[in-house]
Amino acid sequence: MVTTHDMTRGYRVFQWFNGVILTLVVVVTLYPFVNILARSFSSQAAISAGEVNLIPKGFNLTTYKIVASDPMFWTNYRNTVVYTVVATVIAMVMTTCYAYVLSKKHLKGRKFLVGVAVFTMFFSGGLIPNYVLISGLGLKNSIWAIVLPNAISVFNLLVMKAFFESLPQDLEEAAAIDGLNTYGILWKIVLPLSKAVIATMILFYAVSFWNSWFAAFLYMNESDLFPVTVYLRNLIAGATGADSFGAAAAEVTQAGANIQAVTIVLTVLPILVIYPFVQRYFVSGVMLGAVKG
Amino acid sequence: MREISRRQAILGLGAFASLALTACGSDSETPAKATDAANKAGSMAGYGVGQQFKATEPLSFDVLYNNHSFYPNKADWLFWQELTKRTNVTLKPVEVPLSDYEKKRSLLIASGDAPLIIPKTYHPQEEAFVASGAILPVSDYFNLMPNFQDKVAKWQLQPELNSIMQSDGKIYLLPGLHEAAWADYSFAVRTDILEKLKIEVPKTLDDFYNMLKAMKAEYPDLYPMTDRWGVPTPGGNLIKLIAQAYGTKGGWEYQHATWDAAQGKFAYTGAMPQYKQALEYLNKLVKEKLLDPESFTQQDEAAKQKFISGKSFVISTNAQTLINDYRGPLTENNKDAKIVKIPVPIGPAGEVKVASRLENGIMISKKATENKNFVAMMQFIDWLWYSDAGLEFAKWGVEGTTYTKEGDKYKLADDVDYVGLNPGAPKHLQKDFGFGNGVFAYGGPTKLLQSTFSDEEMEFQNVMNARKQWPVEPAAPLSEEERDQVSLWETPLKDHVTQNTLKFILGERDLGEWDAYVKELESKNSTQYVNLVNGAHERFKKAHGG
Repeated sequence: MVTTHDMTRGYRVFQWFNGVILTLVVVVTLYPFVNILARSFSSQAAISAGEVNLIPKGFNLTTYKIVASDPMFWTNYRNTVVYTVVATVIAMVMTTCYAYVLSKKHLKGRKFLVGVAVFTMFFSGGLIPNYVLISGLGLKNSIWAIVLPNAISVFNLLVMKAFFESLPQDLEEAAAIDGLNTYGILWKIVLPLSKAVIATMILFYAVSFWNSWFAAFLYMNESDLFPVTVYLRNLIAGATGADSFGAAAAEVTQAGANIQAVTIVLTVLPILVIYPFVQRYFVSGVMLGAVKG
Repeated sequence: MREISRRQAILGLGAFASLALTACGSDSETPAKATDAANKAGSMAGYGVGQQFKATEPLSFDVLYNNHSFYPNKADWLFWQELTKRTNVTLKPVEVPLSDYEKKRSLLIASGDAPLIIPKTYHPQEEAFVASGAILPVSDYFNLMPNFQDKVAKWQLQPELNSIMQSDGKIYLLPGLHEAAWADYSFAVRTDILEKLKIEVPKTLDDFYNMLKAMKAEYPDLYPMTDRWGVPTPGGNLIKLIAQAYGTKGGWEYQHATWDAAQGKFAYTGAMPQYKQALEYLNKLVKEKLLDPESFTQQDEAAKQKFISGKSFVISTNAQTLINDYRGPLTENNKDAKIVKIPVPIGPAGEVKVASRLENGIMISKKATENKNFVAMMQFIDWLWYSDAGLEFAKWGVEGTTYTKEGDKYKLADDVDYVGLNPGAPKHLQKDFGFGNGVFAYGGPTKLLQSTFSDEEMEFQNVMNARKQWPVEPAAPLSEEERDQVSLWETPLKDHVTQNTLKFILGERDLGEWDAYVKELESKNSTQYVNLVNGAHERFKKAHGG
């Protein structure tokens, strides 16, 4: 903390500018959220006339009732929760194991193992070969098509590896002398010391799985297997579809702007609620991984 | 950020892979004989026009299903049940969200995993799959489809069919067929303002201009017209309709080569004098501040808001958006507001109706010929999509349950709503029964098409139908190499035309520079383009006498 007496004039000016700019950033980032929230409580007519900004106009809860009464929305919502939880658990186990192994300098072939992972960051088999693979393995139309192919994110892997490398080697040696085997060391010594990075990784993974739609769109052929993101995407496209089809789409019927807003609010709500609680780990977690001691 | 860029990389690689896949593997196999006993299982021996198709044994086929967010698929729809009851065929939908239908369709076809029946394909989308040999040249099997052939003959649709023919003389898409061309898009105009200014509903482009001018005189602070459908194609509907009035193509309809009947050959559209005249007209509107220059770049939402809040009086529309987007919200904000969809304004091209009689259509996977039920499947498709009974079933449902019919008049059951015909009814024809579904119900006799139109829309239709049908362009199918060649030319040409179309309209470039602009197009191979198309046209004429 900077106390009052060592605040120079220049520093105060800087603080002041800092405050103004950050406030502007907050306003800019918050505005779309507040706008969507206001729309979700507004009447369709008020939205169409462009009268809704920050405060709902024609306040009503009908739209929430309409969206909540669609069973498909809840089926897809449940899918999102299930996919996110299962995928995050699998991803955490796989990433932790891989990262821990890679953090050991005495491991033979370590460079190769890192290279294999990093290689996939820059090269991929491509959409169609991936599809043929997943479909050949018989994973289509099952949760595994979503949770397995994305189980390890290389970026997260490298952050975790760096974090493990920063833990003092002596600690693990001491534990080994006291009779713990490798798994014991990982489970009883390393992981309890790594709460910050684990929380960060869980947040990274959970958010990305929660928001993802592409894998489900590719590998699922039935709408009751889709996550809510696909539902939302389709809802919004249904409203704008007339444009891209041009002259031929006469049967297109649009979902109201208020219905879209409600669905968006309900979809992002859990992430919004969880974020502040995990965020304090988040900062320290990433920093710890980044700077090796 | 990281996530997006990675996904884009994957998509990019995927697109590359699909190109590679389509590039190799264009060996022309001889089509299996349609009359083989091996693929006739379940088919009807004497299936013909006016006959109910019913498979002789229970069959099932996969169908790619474009899942609309307004009426998402439900397994217990009466449509599926009744279809199986009537035809003995169960359709198994592979559900794809409409948001990304085309992406998944390409993926499934490229990976060899596509369902046999692939509906909702808009010409020329099928051309991307022709070279790979993944889809069936359906024209080889028209003989299995008596209703399709009957309608083509009865409604004289051969010229239209020729226009979607590939250079091998075959057709790869089963298009939806309209008895008469159907014009839907036009402009919505505030008639209460017209009444106040004591002017008639405009008939010609000049009337249209004078109307906007009169509005501007009364309300000098606002743009009388601000338009929607400007993204991603600038002036999608507006430029299209104005270009039509001058006898050429623009906006959504823009195509590089347009048939010039006076010259008896194709001309490069963006360099046609008619195209210039259309731009001059639009430029005049912008210059005199009658048309909001933002019309070509703003999102629909912004244009709608201006119209609904009374900041503009004219906007592009079709029958549905007139009711759904404009009228409801507008009258809620202003009780006296009245709007009407005006007949498309007439220009130098005369009283013409420019609209195709072909709809989106169905591709069939090449794998289908190996299926032992192939013949039955073609008969089934013929019944559902092309027979009078099938078209009526797909649109209106089951007589006595979802609708009743007296003579030619269809009437919805009292508890069923559809396109606002029975507002407030507890059930919905599309959402609860699965009829009136864009995947299955389109095209057909004009009576059936108009059976859901309101009186107001019928008035519009009657005016439009009294006009002369714009002739179908002669066929000029390009060979595979030619198509590769033109696809290299198309992007730079299209970009240049689009950019300069906007510059000319908005006055950023003077129309006096037109000749320079045409030279620029020529330097981007517009002349070679047109020569290629004209060559293809001559070739087609020799081979088919068209």
